[in-house]
Amino acid sequence: MSKKAAAPSNRTLASKESTLFKELLSLYENKQLKKGLKTADQILKKYPEHGETLCMKGLVLVHMGRRDEGIELVRKGIRMDLTSHIVWHVFGLIQKGEKKYEEALKSYMQALRFDKENMNLLRDVAQLQTQLRLYDGLVETRHMLLRLRPTVRQHWIALAVAYHLSGNLAEAKKVVVEYEKTLKNVPHYDVEHSEMLLYHVRLLEELEQYSEALTLLDVSAKDRAIVDKTAIMEFRARLLSKLKSEEAEHAWKVLVEHNPECYDYYKGYMSNQNLDLDKNPAEALAVLREFSAQFPKANVPRRLSLSLASGEEFKALAQPYLLSALKKGIPSLFVDVKSLYTDPAKMKCLEDIAESIRQDTSPESSVPSSSSTEPTTYLWSLYFLAQHYSYLSEHTKALDLLDTAMSHTPTLPELYTCRARTLKRAGDFYGASRAMEDARRLDGQDRFLNTKSAKYRMRAGLIDEASALLGLFTKKDAPSPGADLEEMQSLFYLQEEGDAHRRAGKLNLALRKYTAVQRVFDDYEDDQYDFHGYSLRKSTINIYLNVLNWEDHLRSHPSYIKAAIAASRIYVDVFDDPKLASGNVDGNSTDAEKKAKKKAKKAHQKEKEDAAKKAATAAPNNSSNEDKGLDVPFKDEDPDGMKLLSSPEPLELAWKLLQPLTTLAQNNIEVCIAIYDVSIRRKKYLQAAQALARARALDSEYPDLHVRIVHARHFVSSLPEAIPPPVGPVFNETLDKILPEGVALETYNSQYLQTHSTSANAILAAAQASRVLGAPLQEVENLLFTALGDGVQLDIKTALDISNFLKKVKSSRVDELHQALDTKFTISTAFKAPEELAKLRELTVSTNMNGSTEKLDNGTAVPIENEAELGKGVST
Amino acid sequence: MNIRCARAEDVVGMQQANLFNLPENYHIRLWIYHIITWPQLSYVVEDSKGRIVGYVLAKIEEESEDKPLEIHGHINSISVLRGYRRLGLAKKLMLLSQEAMASVYKARYVSLHVRETNKAAIGLYRDTLGFEVADVEKGYYADGEDAYMMRLNLETEP
Repeated sequence: MSKKAAAPSNRTLASKESTLFKELLSLYENKQLKKGLKTADQILKKYPEHGETLCMKGLVLVHMGRRDEGIELVRKGIRMDLTSHIVWHVFGLIQKGEKKYEEALKSYMQALRFDKENMNLLRDVAQLQTQLRLYDGLVETRHMLLRLRPTVRQHWIALAVAYHLSGNLAEAKKVVVEYEKTLKNVPHYDVEHSEMLLYHVRLLEELEQYSEALTLLDVSAKDRAIVDKTAIMEFRARLLSKLKSEEAEHAWKVLVEHNPECYDYYKGYMSNQNLDLDKNPAEALAVLREFSAQFPKANVPRRLSLSLASGEEFKALAQPYLLSALKKGIPSLFVDVKSLYTDPAKMKCLEDIAESIRQDTSPESSVPSSSSTEPTTYLWSLYFLAQHYSYLSEHTKALDLLDTAMSHTPTLPELYTCRARTLKRAGDFYGASRAMEDARRLDGQDRFLNTKSAKYRMRAGLIDEASALLGLFTKKDAPSPGADLEEMQSLFYLQEEGDAHRRAGKLNLALRKYTAVQRVFDDYEDDQYDFHGYSLRKSTINIYLNVLNWEDHLRSHPSYIKAAIAASRIYVDVFDDPKLASGNVDGNSTDAEKKAKKKAKKAHQKEKEDAAKKAATAAPNNSSNEDKGLDVPFKDEDPDGMKLLSSPEPLELAWKLLQPLTTLAQNNIEVCIAIYDVSIRRKKYLQAAQALARARALDSEYPDLHVRIVHARHFVSSLPEAIPPPVGPVFNETLDKILPEGVALETYNSQYLQTHSTSANAILAAAQASRVLGAPLQEVENLLFTALGDGVQLDIKTALDISNFLKKVKSSRVDELHQALDTKFTISTAFKAPEELAKLRELTVSTNMNGSTEKLDNGTAVPIENEAELGKGVST
Repeated sequence: MNIRCARAEDVVGMQQANLFNLPENYHIRLWIYHIITWPQLSYVVEDSKGRIVGYVLAKIEEESEDKPLEIHGHINSISVLRGYRRLGLAKKLMLLSQEAMASVYKARYVSLHVRETNKAAIGLYRDTLGFEVADVEKGYYADGEDAYMMRLNLETEP
């Protein structure tokens, strides 16, 4: 931090103190915090109001973990010397540590006003501008840096990247070319230079200057200036294809040879040959046959052929494909071919092949033993078929096959995981959890099975028991297994436990977990900061640009979307019925949560005590040199989520979650519906109407959308006065396009019901819509019970949704519904009476807990018969 | 299964697969750091829906004053989800990463740590890929287990 002349009088120090201040700056740079603090105090003794020293002392204190005290000094220091670049620089650093990037940038700009050519300031400004995606400003800053230090390679690259990000590829290219001219000797075998050249090639490709790109690539590859072989091959094939060169075919072949398991290379080859996979599968199949012959071990060409072939040809290819995988005992076979099931003929064909392999290899087979009659082939064919029938919802058949397989080989965990999945699909969540735990106990060292078993426990509502399992693999010194998983950014855990709490009605705890998902994504976003400088030093620009692009689309990740929608639904429910928040008091915390809360409270208490102790002994020499950094440590001030649940502005919290999705997940109909629900309540009518229109374009008959259309129309007609212009007319116009005004909503609703009379989801939607329209409870109930009718397709999930809706409208017929559902879904336990559920829960917990760490010695330890009995027999 | 070089947008999938599968886990920052520093060395396996079901995360250890080492590659983490075993995916991931280490960075050898009780992994490294145990590191893992440090010399192009 250099100082400039013409300083105001209150900044000027006597020569002794002036030397001390320089010392203080260098002590800070080297993080000699203790000495720094001492030095600052020495200056302040004589100049107690010296702004720059006050700020530096404050900064040092923050580094030492005395944040509040430090920030107070910084603020005081700024007031004392408003025109010093140092005080603003310090303030900017503090704000950056608080992740307040915009405010930090403002402080930095203020600092720059008083020291225009300060390299440190300019570099930090550039990073902040990148983080904030202020690319025009970034170009200016990078220009300035290059002008000040044109010999630094990184400054050239940085300017090119800035132009690139601002969308000006032509200017980016110019800078790169200029930079290359300044190089006297082109280094060979230099990975950083190689990356730089690959960036140049990419720029040319994006500018559609393909032949220039190819020339640069070829020359640089020949010179060994570009050393990344894979990148050379990929660029080359792509560029040759774009240039329609004859060499392209060979280039793609070279890639396939390099990695025969990469789909992209085959696709590149095919599209280069103008092979339309849909219109001309025969030719494509011939090509794949050649590749298969050339790379007999490669799976991709064989698997791709299955997607393209049909009829007899499919059968001829599928038979050896299945047989060889079953012989090898490849567990992913079913998952691998499942995507072919969209074609019913292929599905049937695969079933026939697998059935015939099972028969041929069965111990009771009459077929004379051949090479294919190995017992393991039989076992894996049973496993495959069980997955097949489970997928087709033929649960009993699947379970029977698994019983046979387990008596054949009781020690294969996959059989138990498959049983678990089947029971889960059939609605027996307790049985599913027991089966998954059986799988886990067959291989207690395997974290995958551990995670699965924990997940199934959460699905069965056994949250504490799940936590106990997860704890077998989390850090022992963490406050709880969940705290460790949250700290390690486990999205699966946060989502599953949030959902489990939501199902149990513990909305505060659910919100706590969903908010933690949001925080993980915030951290993902913050974590790019340091790379804005680092990548340029490393000159790995291509990947860096891709990282920025990934960050820009971060929240389109399914985990974020799921958590955002789930949380926003809770917020909407709480807004509609504030009692949900007040009724949800502490009594419902799980043991683990209580423990965590206690621990958090204790830690908080300790922190306070420590702070008090520190304050009591506050003296210049009481602190250690340990640098705690400038980032604000995360403090969990709402361990049970009660603050979230009882927030006075639930809709604002919901909107904060959904807002990024308005651009990132426009094509997700559930997102559109969540946006509608929140916007209409926030009185953001345009947003609400747009969300409806978008949802309608995606799937006009979607049941949840139907409810919203009715809701919107009903809402408008119930308003005491029309929405004023300019919003009102636009809103009405949009709504008119969706459902013209004047259509009787009851009629509209019954028409919808008629069109979709066999869909349980549509019946539920119609019932919800008629509830919106104020239909009497009895009518709504009667409508819902028609979902049990013979012609209606009803699955477990929808049945649970119907049950939840009945509970929500306080129907007295919930038990009646459950009894009927229990009869209908013979394997399911989801609709059992509370006392039976309590028994099942007890059974699951006790089987799960018995010897949960010891391995099963054989399959008989697994209560298979009991479980089957429970699944089938207990229902009335 | 599709095997390809890891891309920027794969980091979350890799991180989550690792959390599901292995006891040694890392913050996203470390995954980004590896991908940005050595973009050629990490590979992933994805299923037909584009979900990451296996990965190898690798780096280069360079010579430095306090570490008079030859330039070599190091495997930080490799795993394949249980349901996707027996397809030889781990082997293919290793070979692709090793080749990139040799051709891009002229790495002389590749090293890795493995739990001494992890017989399946040791089998892959030793018998299939040709690694040898170079050292035993006592108490390397958080739970106190020892690690084998294994290494394999790489053929570099002339």
